[in-house]
Amino acid sequence: MKTGTILRTTLAGLIIFILIMPCFSQGDSLTTRNDISSDLRIAYNSSLIYPGIRAGIEFPVYFVSLRKNINSENIKSILKGRFISVNAGWYHHPDFHDNLYLTAEWTMRRAKGKGFFTEFSSGLGYSRTFLGATTYQVDNLGDVKIIKSAGYNYALIIAGGCLGYDFSNKKEIPLSVFYKFDLMGMFPYNNTFYFRPVMELGIIYKPVSFIRLSTRTRNITK
Amino acid sequence: MKRLITSFIIVFLFVTSCQKEKITIGTGVSESFYVENSGASMRVLVEGNTASTVFIVFVHGGPGAGAYFYNTDYIKSNLGDKYACVFWDERNAGASQGGSNGKNLSLAQMTDDLKKVIQVVRYRYGQSSNIFLLGHSFGGLLTSSFMTTDDYQLMVQGWIFADGCQNYPLNDSLTRQMLLTNGQQQIALNKNRAKWEEIVSYCNLHTSDFSFDESMQLEEYAEAAETYFDEVTKIDYINLFEKDAIKDDWPLTSILVNYLYSSAAEINKDIANTEFSSSLFKVEVPVLILFGQYDFVCPKGLGDDLYNKISSTDKKIVISPISGHNIMLQDEVLFCKEIDEFVRLHNVVPI
Repeated sequence: MKTGTILRTTLAGLIIFILIMPCFSQGDSLTTRNDISSDLRIAYNSSLIYPGIRAGIEFPVYFVSLRKNINSENIKSILKGRFISVNAGWYHHPDFHDNLYLTAEWTMRRAKGKGFFTEFSSGLGYSRTFLGATTYQVDNLGDVKIIKSAGYNYALIIAGGCLGYDFSNKKEIPLSVFYKFDLMGMFPYNNTFYFRPVMELGIIYKPVSFIRLSTRTRNITK
Repeated sequence: MKRLITSFIIVFLFVTSCQKEKITIGTGVSESFYVENSGASMRVLVEGNTASTVFIVFVHGGPGAGAYFYNTDYIKSNLGDKYACVFWDERNAGASQGGSNGKNLSLAQMTDDLKKVIQVVRYRYGQSSNIFLLGHSFGGLLTSSFMTTDDYQLMVQGWIFADGCQNYPLNDSLTRQMLLTNGQQQIALNKNRAKWEEIVSYCNLHTSDFSFDESMQLEEYAEAAETYFDEVTKIDYINLFEKDAIKDDWPLTSILVNYLYSSAAEINKDIANTEFSSSLFKVEVPVLILFGQYDFVCPKGLGDDLYNKISSTDKKIVISPISGHNIMLQDEVLFCKEIDEFVRLHNVVPI
């Protein structure tokens, strides 16, 4: 089969799949738009034992609220949220480097009615390292000088998963706690790809009104 | 907005404060610095007695192995108490950092790096500091390049050559011959017969003019060969790692990616045909040569070649009967004792 034919068949299959998906949904579906506040996120940020901090803003993109009546008394609800987050992070590895980095991430969150949620995120960013000790440069005459703020600029990619609990569901406290594990990669690091596991333990604060964005919410009841 | 800028300035000042120059003259010193040269910032750790004015610069193997494994408790206690040990992570190794710098990974560039590391050690600890170079494995090639370039040898008081290689083509021939001779003996003794038969068979098929792949295969057999002898001290890498990795803040993923990159880099093909035997006559400084009896990776025949080719009148060769390719780990008592005696004899400032 020629490449063009494969592409056309795949594309047609995808379009058909997307078009017929709603037909399998047997419940009612209602899409609304609401102004939803952005969330603030802050975490202790560590790569194994080396400390750091990470903070960011989560901008809501859209939500899908799924409610399923199991019987007359029990309703199972799942809220799927999609966010774009902007984060600033820093960690300190003695003698090696300090790393300041900015990321933009796409976050997919799935929260259960009781408040527990899981999350997957991935994104791109920029890293600036600062070497962990005085850095010298020697010219051809043998004169030595100190380089101020020595370090490197890297492109950065990050991906990770998260477990958390949202207190706003049951107790109306606008906070969530979470544990997140990320794998961060920086390049071109010595002509190759540097990776580093990063763990976060933090909170998400949901203010009533902070950068409110018109967000689409689709409510599905089964 | 003002708060954001203030926070950023505070973080920036905090991270850059880690780069404040710290120079300690005394005993029990442990401090690091970086030397930037041609796209690489190379980490240098100074441990021990800087007041002695003696600095033993460890030039590690690889390329890409890093200097972390050389900084053992025994060396700290038995050399570091008397002298300062300088553990240099070569470019693209250990904790050394940089950007897109692959094109600079060459022996000539690393020779220049070494010169600059020594210049910075002198800048920090005094121009009258006594420098002793210690090259291990590939570090033997790098220090050979250094010692035979221009008048660089005038920068050092002595050269310690530990399980090193100054001539890669000769190294391949000696490794093959040592594998063959020992292999035949071990087969006759019925020790590790299957393993030795494979090695002997390979050596019989590949006799000279070794290609890069043949050279790599011989090295692989050589690394395994020393582990087939009960006489050779086994290295407990897991114990070394457990003891030091957390305590000394090893940047593990950096050590790993640098090693993987350097061990597969083009430099390996370039050095496969490199030799300094023909220029060793330029060397006139005192030389101490240390080899393991069971070093198949860099056989002690390389030590004989070095001993015979240098012009130094003050030279000594010592063979450890219990060591393979890593004498500083496998016979640390002999290693530290010989270096201590050598440095005492050639240090221009009496301790």
